[in-house]
Amino acid sequence: MSSRTAISRNRAATEGDVTSQTVQPTSKVTASQGPRKRRGVNREGLEAGRRSTRTILWILLAVAMVLYGFPFLYLLFTSFKTPIDTIAVPPTILPTEWTLENYANALGRSGVLASFINSVQTAIISTLLSLVLAIPAAYGITRYKTPSGRVFIMAALVTRMVPPVAIGIPLASMMSSVGLADTPIALSIAHTTISLPLSIWLMSSFFEAVPRDLEEAATVDGCSRLGALWRVVIPVVSGGIAVTAIFAFLASWNEFLFALLMTAIRSQTTPVVIANFQTQFGLDWGSMTALAAVYSIPVILLTLLLQRKIVAGMTLGAVKG
Amino acid sequence: MSTRNTISRLVTLGGVCTAVALAATGCGAGGPAPTSGSAAGTVNVLVEAGGHAELTGVAEQCKKDTGIDVNFVELPYDGMFNRLSSEFSSGNVSFDVAALDSVWLPSFKDAVQPIDEIFTDEAKKDIFPALVKEANVDGHFIGLPAWTNAEIILYRQDLFEDAKNKADFQSKYGYELAAPTTWKQYQDISEFFTKDGMYGTDVKGAVETEWLAHVLQAGSPMVLDGDNVVIDNAAHKEALDFYVSLTKSAPPGAAQVDWAAAQNLFNQGKTAMTRFWAHAYRQIPKDSPVAGKVGAAAMIGGSAGVAGVPGPWYLSVPKATKNADSAKKFIKCAYDHNGLGIESSLGLASRISAFEKYQDQPGYESFKPLIETLNGKATATRPATAKWQQIVDTVLVPLLQKAVAGGDSATLLADAKKQIQDLLK
Repeated sequence: MSSRTAISRNRAATEGDVTSQTVQPTSKVTASQGPRKRRGVNREGLEAGRRSTRTILWILLAVAMVLYGFPFLYLLFTSFKTPIDTIAVPPTILPTEWTLENYANALGRSGVLASFINSVQTAIISTLLSLVLAIPAAYGITRYKTPSGRVFIMAALVTRMVPPVAIGIPLASMMSSVGLADTPIALSIAHTTISLPLSIWLMSSFFEAVPRDLEEAATVDGCSRLGALWRVVIPVVSGGIAVTAIFAFLASWNEFLFALLMTAIRSQTTPVVIANFQTQFGLDWGSMTALAAVYSIPVILLTLLLQRKIVAGMTLGAVKG
Repeated sequence: MSTRNTISRLVTLGGVCTAVALAATGCGAGGPAPTSGSAAGTVNVLVEAGGHAELTGVAEQCKKDTGIDVNFVELPYDGMFNRLSSEFSSGNVSFDVAALDSVWLPSFKDAVQPIDEIFTDEAKKDIFPALVKEANVDGHFIGLPAWTNAEIILYRQDLFEDAKNKADFQSKYGYELAAPTTWKQYQDISEFFTKDGMYGTDVKGAVETEWLAHVLQAGSPMVLDGDNVVIDNAAHKEALDFYVSLTKSAPPGAAQVDWAAAQNLFNQGKTAMTRFWAHAYRQIPKDSPVAGKVGAAAMIGGSAGVAGVPGPWYLSVPKATKNADSAKKFIKCAYDHNGLGIESSLGLASRISAFEKYQDQPGYESFKPLIETLNGKATATRPATAKWQQIVDTVLVPLLQKAVAGGDSATLLADAKKQIQDLLK
């Protein structure tokens, strides 16, 4: 509560500063206008400026929302269209006749439920692997700041620049050689190669934002370095961990190429099943969009659930320095 | 806030527990491991998603006949070539039988084993000649055609039988309006129906097969004659000029029109005719404005007669499989019960006898034209070169797109010849 009071006071002081700036006399203001009137005019001007800025921001936000949201909305509407409606020329946005037939077809297809389970399984294992490896790696790089650490983090970035197909085929052979062919573990390891470099970079920026004093205080209180990491630093960067976990989860959840190369019967994930609706003999738009819509639900729920953590994590390093 | 924290903790805990439990089991939810040769009585079949239905009935029948269980590994077409390349090159395959697109056969000829014993004299007589020829690579049969397709003419029977249309057409062109059999008729009919917001036909600039069928109809081997690149000969130019001439009777944007777009245009009633794969006849949606109003005819003919480019899929056995005996038994089942594919959603087969059995039944009106096209004297398969797909993607499709956009056909063909020669070096 005390910190909130302090914040309120600071806010009031800041507003006072702004107000005090607005009462500076200008040559255009006549002497008959008192200070109060001049202050009111300037405040109105400032308010008008703020309103227009806010309007512009809202417009930009709306444009961004439409650009990002429209493809998904179109997918969603298509999933409720009849077969002939899905291929209408010119295309229509809203269905002329709403139907759930596409959902019944998509979910009734053999292997769909299994692919969902495989996707969840693979994404969770891959996310955990990424976090377990990225947290100590990022902590070591940011706290010790050794030349090798800098080389390592740059090398991690370089691996992101390698086209996935270039490592997909050798990875598939390696997994097959060690008896992990067509298993979620093999696919999770492959997905970790995508998410780990990003996770290390993200976690490094979050650790950078944590003052060393916190760890030193914990050490003075009897914590070991690992103890300080576990008890003090990790709780502080929990928002960052949530952000990293979401990115790692999404990277695995939506990944297609490795799933295509490394899975067959028992570990095929849903992106491959969705792609299977496009065949050489036709494209079943309705069922494809229905399954894609259903597949989006878990990540939408997860994002909504962790929204606060994500926002907190995004702004964690914003006040650094 | 505390509720949210509790939910977050529960979700995290649940996730961790699930992950640990699932990771501990180390297996997926889809079924048994697909390792090749894992069980003598089990065959893993790698198939493109669209062809899966074709083999489902065969698999069930094969189980009854031989006791062999069949697992299907279903993949999208666009990724299947990569997957096959990956597994064949590693020498460690997860399947015992692969359904291969005909254009891939030359690329994978060294990775699959001969199945000459299935190609008896009786079998060779019952399979379309072009397919028998294509399956034979370097003196051995390496794939059994499981189903095949070819482009035929689909047309709006209701418009063709309309009395006013018939009379108007007769007075304008001097002959009776009927399904076209020649290039000239196709041009005339396309022109005639291009009115009132409707187009006579489509022109597909984004796919090459249709133009190649016209090249065969003009009397030349397509693109390659043995090792010689013949894409700049008179037949190729004649076919290209004919192809481009139809753009004035087709919807705009021909350069981007592919199979899906052309099928949509026809099913929406925007075009009066289309040259399209025969399977599309049975896939017209019931709620389409053209449902029940479509007729089918054999592919048109040029100076060399009727010709099409077959689109078969072959069942092959990888050399690396440890389950070759069961794999070959499955392929024999696929030959013996080939007609079961006709009852699938795709509705295709590869044996002439299977098509003939259904050709007079209602709903299968496309089969007679398909048989006629596949038996056409000039019908031929694509050149047997491992570089074919590359030639298509980097030379033929760009050539067509430039041609339908107004490029000079002779110059484009001459340029294409040089490019193909460079690719084949």
